[in-house]
Amino acid sequence: MYTPKSAVIKEIISENHLVKTFRLSMVDSQGQTIPFRFEAGQFVMLSVPHRGEAPISISSIPANPSFFDLTIRKAGLLTSAIQEMAVGDHLGVRGPFGHGFPLDDLLGKDLLLVAGGIGLAPLKGVMESCLSWKKVKKLTDISLTLCYGSRTPEDICFRATIEKWQQDGVSCRLTVDEADPSWQGEEGLVTGLLADQSSSGDGYALVCGPPVMIRATIARLQAFGWSDEHILTTLERHMKCGVGVCGHCHLDNTMVCTDGPVFTLSQLQEMKVAELG
Amino acid sequence: MKETTVILAKDNLQGLLRKLGRDKSLVAPVTNQWGDTLYTEITDIDGTELDLSKQPQASLKGFFFPQQEVIQTYDTTAGYEFTPQRHIQPTLFFGVRSCDLHAVLYMDMIFSSPERDDAYFARRQDTTIITLACTTPFANCFCNATGSGPFMEYGYDLQLTDLGDRFLVEAGRQQGEQILQAWGHFFEPATEEDVQLQYQLSLEAGGRFQRKVEVEHACRILASGEVDEQIWQQLSARCADCGGCAYVCPTCTCFNIRDAQQEPSKGERIRSWDACTFSGFTRMAGGHNPINSDHALQRRFLHKLKYDVEKHGKPSCVGCGRCVDICFGHVDITTFIEAVVED
Repeated sequence: MYTPKSAVIKEIISENHLVKTFRLSMVDSQGQTIPFRFEAGQFVMLSVPHRGEAPISISSIPANPSFFDLTIRKAGLLTSAIQEMAVGDHLGVRGPFGHGFPLDDLLGKDLLLVAGGIGLAPLKGVMESCLSWKKVKKLTDISLTLCYGSRTPEDICFRATIEKWQQDGVSCRLTVDEADPSWQGEEGLVTGLLADQSSSGDGYALVCGPPVMIRATIARLQAFGWSDEHILTTLERHMKCGVGVCGHCHLDNTMVCTDGPVFTLSQLQEMKVAELG
Repeated sequence: MKETTVILAKDNLQGLLRKLGRDKSLVAPVTNQWGDTLYTEITDIDGTELDLSKQPQASLKGFFFPQQEVIQTYDTTAGYEFTPQRHIQPTLFFGVRSCDLHAVLYMDMIFSSPERDDAYFARRQDTTIITLACTTPFANCFCNATGSGPFMEYGYDLQLTDLGDRFLVEAGRQQGEQILQAWGHFFEPATEEDVQLQYQLSLEAGGRFQRKVEVEHACRILASGEVDEQIWQQLSARCADCGGCAYVCPTCTCFNIRDAQQEPSKGERIRSWDACTFSGFTRMAGGHNPINSDHALQRRFLHKLKYDVEKHGKPSCVGCGRCVDICFGHVDITTFIEAVVED
């Protein structure tokens, strides 16, 4: 349960000056790729040589078990060490852990993603799954929307993905807190993008970002008529085991690692979380 | 009278332990040269004096869940391989108090879910536990209020009750029965009077507690309502964030995992005790702490007296009183319980 399995870095995408996406494949002792199945919104415990383990959300679509992506911002010792690693290097992986987003409920519905910074990572697989479903089922009447806030234009992650989504008909609205001369888009907090995002009734809003951003976004969504059951978020916490034993992500009678990390707003309201103030 | 209840003359104890210690390590309470009474591994039973008169200062927690243990080694020479480290040592624990066995049974449950914790059960498997019922509770004990003593009703291999010049011996689990069968010549049948005397002693023990801690009452209050902010403020102001209560607590099982590099391409993954009362317990990389840690001791008290009651039907405090001894701010769990009940 605590013994990591081997993964190999297949590709590294530099998202910005602090963030890289690592495409990994699980490998057996002969170096052959072995399948890794997960749900969008789940996380892994990632081991980096001599730096220990940290919980990292999976940022890719769960359609292909031969690889998965981890999008990692330089924040502490482990996440700094991994920035120096190269294609072909080995990492340790345990998981996937936790409950992901309820994809069966989301497919074929209107979808609104509201993300701040690297908070788009755990939501990205959901958008890609919904987009692919929309294409396959030729659903023309559902709307897929991304409202994405970054601190500065330099901090925007997943640029290539967002461009592709736009071409595929996803309404992508970007904003930055602090513009620079190169920036032609919106300026201000991500909540400013939500002005006309009223609920369609059966649509879902997925929110992830810093606690203060989650709090402000949820308040806006509620004001626009989104029900507490249709607002979903995913919590980021310090974790050591990933399986509900070490105690670090304990929140009242809930363990974020096993009961979450995805929660509906109704569930969050039962817990005293910083994300709700 | 139960078939499995027999008498062990005190003169026969050493001989029995000598036999039992042949196949297993033997651990029992011993007072060392500095006056500390601890569950101690005994290599020479004939040259060691057991001390069954005092409460061991540490519980059995560290034998199964050490303060620090290497759970894996890793090697990055070719790839990144982890090798689990398992420590198996068949051990007989003798003279264990009811509170400490209750705590082990709680840890067995915690480390069984969501699957068996290999490091814990490697140490736990193949152990035999012989308890000693507490006929005279110690100064800070309140196991009568937590349903975990002073006598055991289940969970032991053998339970001994001191009847003066002899012990009444009850077999609980299968390993206890096996000892009685394998070493029958150390034992003699128990009489109806012996059993009556044990019953009498258990009643008297219940009346000898020096402290009255209203655990159930506090649990009921916590189940139905919030604790007054003033209580948290008062307790937090006196908590020095030392972690002593969690370390000495037989049921505190929060842990940390870290890596220690040994050579350029080799290292160890180490699991160690952690304490939810530390303000940094929830701090994330980069320094952000999503949990208000002004009242970090709240986590510990509510886990034991509220959330574990919701989850497992009983509090996970076993009333051993060790945190009362160790807390120099006098804000141990009994202070909290008293404050909740008085409020």
